[in-house]
Amino acid sequence: MRFLEAVLRTVRHSRRLATGLVILGLMVLLALLSPLIVKAIGGSTDPLELAAYERWLVPGPGHLLGTDQFGRDVFAMVISALAVSLQIGAIAGLISTVVGVIVAFVAGYKGGWIDGLLSTFTGILLVIPTFPLLIALSAYAKNVSLFQVGVMISIFSWPFAAKTIRSQVLSLRSRPYVDLARVSKARDLEIIGTELLPNLLPFIGVGFASSALGAIFGLVGLEVIGLGPGGVIDLGQIIFNAINTGALTLGAWPMFVVPIALLTLLFAALNMINIGLEEVYNPRLRGVAGE
Amino acid sequence: MTDKVIELRGVQQRFHARGTPDGYLTAVQDASFTLAADPPQVVSLVGQSGSGKSTIARNVLGLQKPTAGTVTYGGKDIFNLSRAEYDEYRKNVQPVFQDPYSIFNPFYRVDRVLWKAVKKFSLASTREAGEALIEESLKAVSLDPGRVLGRYPHQLSGGQRQRIMLARIHMLRPAFVIADEPVSMLDAQIRKMFLDILLDFQREHRMTTLFITHDLSTVYYLGGQVMVITKGVIVERGPVSSVMHEPSHPYTRLLLDSIPQPDPANRWTTRIKVDESPDADTTAAEAPEPRPLL
Repeated sequence: MRFLEAVLRTVRHSRRLATGLVILGLMVLLALLSPLIVKAIGGSTDPLELAAYERWLVPGPGHLLGTDQFGRDVFAMVISALAVSLQIGAIAGLISTVVGVIVAFVAGYKGGWIDGLLSTFTGILLVIPTFPLLIALSAYAKNVSLFQVGVMISIFSWPFAAKTIRSQVLSLRSRPYVDLARVSKARDLEIIGTELLPNLLPFIGVGFASSALGAIFGLVGLEVIGLGPGGVIDLGQIIFNAINTGALTLGAWPMFVVPIALLTLLFAALNMINIGLEEVYNPRLRGVAGE
Repeated sequence: MTDKVIELRGVQQRFHARGTPDGYLTAVQDASFTLAADPPQVVSLVGQSGSGKSTIARNVLGLQKPTAGTVTYGGKDIFNLSRAEYDEYRKNVQPVFQDPYSIFNPFYRVDRVLWKAVKKFSLASTREAGEALIEESLKAVSLDPGRVLGRYPHQLSGGQRQRIMLARIHMLRPAFVIADEPVSMLDAQIRKMFLDILLDFQREHRMTTLFITHDLSTVYYLGGQVMVITKGVIVERGPVSSVMHEPSHPYTRLLLDSIPQPDPANRWTTRIKVDESPDADTTAAEAPEPRPLL
């Protein structure tokens, strides 16, 4: 209850954060409703089936965004691809955040050689150029599931979260209230869970948002250059098809423009959430003084 | 159970530090003293910032393991206690920290600190008993339970927060209170109130206080025993009255000269030279043989 109140208060204090959350919320809603929307578009036929309709239909009342080279309804495709992209972001974001938080807490709280080892490893992963590695990895992953793609991408996106959260743990663990908890017989895990973690929620939120963003765009990047793992149709795949078939010259501009517009919107929303969270929790960035 | 005695023997604490000749900074050097719970007393540890006094507090509280020497409670090393001994030690050695702002986790209401003490140390068996205990302890430190309970730390003043810490001590009734500069961030009037509560605790609940401060005037007010520490070495010790009137170590004299007096006819006229350079350290050589308190 108190947590919800805190969240509401936070949102009220930052218009950026609120805007970002609303846009993201709408997109998630759209993604959640995608099976229903797809059904509504297709009626009795599946609009995502190959040769469901005629090929390269221009946008019109029957097909709001036209059809693609296989005669699939572009609107239905974009909506379900959005759901896929968001899922990838959620999976990769979740995995990176969980791994990052665990590594950060173990390293930051335990210190000593454990910290040295984990921080060096994190640092190495951070400076490795991840995109070429992703290209190499995707060469081995032709028919992979959505979850596997998420795992693959999160291998490279957790170090960022780990790094930022570790530095916060380092600063928080020497706070007097941690000492007080220790002399009150609290165990390490209890201190991490009840004293440190709640104060780190904004940083964890930022870590999640940026890993999710990184994952979605990492995959889009792979697919636009035609190296995406097969079996997953996300927004990047549609963009690739549009480029590959010369859809723009055929008048099927929505196939190219709509996925990009959606991605831009998503990028803007997640960034607004990031900046908004930082603004709320980092007083130095606050626009106006006072509560 | 064993005697309630805290004993430090040859405690040395070094930290890794860059820029020092040997890569270490020695915060505490060969500190030995004994704190006994019977009779209850106030022992003050006086020294300037960076003299190692807070490090000693952390050693005694078991928050920092000294690099050499031992800290014992009832004759047992506090970093090597059995479960029951550890519980006994924790119950009887409790802190009041310096900074009343960061002692509370900003995420929670202030009640939590008190409830945590109730639960972790099994002070009450029912919720009602716990509530009664908390109210009683808050009243013992002149706080109105209705005005502080259910509030967040930032809604209370520094004095109120520091007194909540005292209420926690009142609930736990430890044999030893390790007070690390508890009044340095309070204003003068609250400071006196705080010290009076500490003295009351000593009398009524038989608590021995290790009072750490940089301010000799509060030491004077509290009385009891005093130890003077500078650059990690305890250079002088004895009853407050004799140390105050016949300081044997030059650093103690310097400290005594630094007490401001609210007397316009007796203004500071001489400048005091504060020596910051580590090379000018003659204190260790001049330190008298450590003799046990009492």
